[in-house]
Amino acid sequence: MEESYQVNGTSGQSSLEYLLVVAITFIVILPATYLFYSYSKESGYEITDAQVTRLGRTIVDTAESIFYSGQGSKTVLELNMPDNVDTAQIIDGRELVFNVTTSFGVSEIVFFSFVNLTANGNCIANVCAIPGLAGSGLKKVKLEVIDQISVKIETI
Amino acid sequence: MHTKSQVALEFLATYAWAFVVVAIAIGALYYFGIFDFSNYLPQKCVFPSQFKCLDFSLSPSEVKINLANNLGEDIRVTSLQITNDANPPISCTPPAAFDWASSTDKDITFTSCTGGAYIQGERVDARVAISYYAVNTPSQQTHLINGKINGRVISS
Repeated sequence: MEESYQVNGTSGQSSLEYLLVVAITFIVILPATYLFYSYSKESGYEITDAQVTRLGRTIVDTAESIFYSGQGSKTVLELNMPDNVDTAQIIDGRELVFNVTTSFGVSEIVFFSFVNLTANGNCIANVCAIPGLAGSGLKKVKLEVIDQISVKIETI
Repeated sequence: MHTKSQVALEFLATYAWAFVVVAIAIGALYYFGIFDFSNYLPQKCVFPSQFKCLDFSLSPSEVKINLANNLGEDIRVTSLQITNDANPPISCTPPAAFDWASSTDKDITFTSCTGGAYIQGERVDARVAISYYAVNTPSQQTHLINGKINGRVISS
């Protein structure tokens, strides 16, 4: 009986120590996971915003640059579009608009151009859609001065 | 047999007390909000970089946000809204429509805030929607941006 008591006591202590180690591990891991997840979610939005801003500025700056090179000038940009960009469109020939979905709603990221922008025949009234530009992945964007007043933007 | 059952009872009695003490301690910690990990996240104001959030404050019945117009265009803000996921959601009186010059910052103040768990000393999450149009765009197409603020309501 003495021996049995000793054995039971030792295994009980081991079980308790095991439970304590597991409990302490959980106490550390759960808050850490939550904090890192929250940080990464917000960082993800900031990265998307920075990528769209850089991409939009590149398109508009290039359009303005080739416009002043004269009719027939063209160039192709290779751009990496981030996730969560739903549509890309041109409004009134001067606003390049990207619709970006975030965890707190849809935002329109707008870039203003000094030169007239147009798309490849996908215009309804003053709004021209740029098919193929939205959606994540590598995009080849062709910019071409089609007449003396406009720069056409299309994906190839 | 008798000794064995006594050992078992003593074991249960010892660890049952330990379990009860631990359960009460965890309950007390939960009651005081120790396990609400969102309290340990930094206070944050997230807007698209074109409307960079410079500062914000949450005082009783008032939400104030300082935003910079980085669009490169003069705009007119037509409407502002604030809401959150609480039941009932936060309700504030938004500022009236205003003009906003390029490369300037504005203090946007929502007053008379009620609901939305907007309580002094508590952590509050709120989404802000801003509608605007560019003054120089002929069709004056309205654009929407969404931002998020997360902070503690301070005393006045």
